[in-house]
Amino acid sequence: MMSSRDELIARLSDNLQPALPGMSITLKSIIWWLLSWVYVVTMTLVMGPLRPGVLIQLATSPQFLIESLIGLLLSLSLTVAAWQTATPGALSRRWAYLSLTLAVLWLSNYLVGFIQPALEPSMSGKREHCYFETLLYTLPPSLVACTIVARKLLPLKSLRTGLLIGLAAGTMPALFMQFACMYEIRHILERHLLPGVLTALIPMLVLPLLLIFLKRKPNP
Amino acid sequence: METTDKTDERRWSELMASAQSGNQQDYRQLLQELGNAIAAYLRARFGNFNALEDCVQESLIAIHDARHTYEPARLFRPWLFAIVRHKTIDFFRRKQAYDTMLNQHRHPAASHNNTQPGADTDISSAQLLALLPVQHREALLLTKLQGFSISEAASQLNISESAMKVRIHRALQKARKLLEAEFL
Repeated sequence: MMSSRDELIARLSDNLQPALPGMSITLKSIIWWLLSWVYVVTMTLVMGPLRPGVLIQLATSPQFLIESLIGLLLSLSLTVAAWQTATPGALSRRWAYLSLTLAVLWLSNYLVGFIQPALEPSMSGKREHCYFETLLYTLPPSLVACTIVARKLLPLKSLRTGLLIGLAAGTMPALFMQFACMYEIRHILERHLLPGVLTALIPMLVLPLLLIFLKRKPNP
Repeated sequence: METTDKTDERRWSELMASAQSGNQQDYRQLLQELGNAIAAYLRARFGNFNALEDCVQESLIAIHDARHTYEPARLFRPWLFAIVRHKTIDFFRRKQAYDTMLNQHRHPAASHNNTQPGADTDISSAQLLALLPVQHREALLLTKLQGFSISEAASQLNISESAMKVRIHRALQKARKLLEAEFL
């Protein structure tokens, strides 16, 4: 006589359908990162030009260049971390520490900037609605990621995954506003970084709700 | 022991890759081996508790549903035990609510015969329980492993039901952290 576990195993393996994993989770995350950047850059440029002389500033101020590169690396590491948390056992402690270190470094740049800013504070290039632009550019990529993650992956810690998706998506417009809007540390923290972080709360709430909704839907 | 782990790792990864392509026989063998491994894992950490088999089967179902998320290029064990850890803690969380609901719908006598609190629970080999503070261990043991209701467990320990709930919540949090620490 079969035990209940044997019966379960027989039922699960009966008429087994192929379930191939597709492309790697890291590759998926990088594709999302690139497409999100395309969206953020396009939308920002549609709404207004870059700050005058920003390319020269990048070339002549090593501090500004390093600050920007750290921000870019942070957005990439947060993206990979977010997608890896949506796959059981994929996120390593080393990668989590790397992301945390980059986040601390990036924020430290701005704290140091209160004493020694990378660029001379200026109103040049000021955008009237940079706060709302950052909010707006963060949402669509993060909602797309939430939908893909909820439908295709298995985020065991949905709040954490949602938060990381939001932070990854929020870092991109927050960083790009450094090139498109005025450079002044308080303005950057309040108008560019803060909305990027605040918007992270939305996918943190949306992802668990999506998972509940999808779980309730009957299997086709 | 380490060699066995590495052999299992490689074999399970290969079996899962084959199962992902639709090979029923390999999948059946994999689930049989994983069922035994999960049972041994849970027994080593929580002892031989009443609902161990339920917990194993819930984990197997979760593995089945999530099999497309395993990438053969990655290690198998972290993937497997992330799911098992999650399902175990989730199972303990839901168990109390489930038992209460079940008892409300059952004939009291039938309920009593079916789930006699404390029956068949042997925690002598429970490594994880031994790592928990005494108050957390008692809370987890009485309510989640031996099947006492919150009020019964609270009266045994001479504390209020609210205090018992807090202890259970903290015990589960601590248990999850300990389980995660093993694999990170």
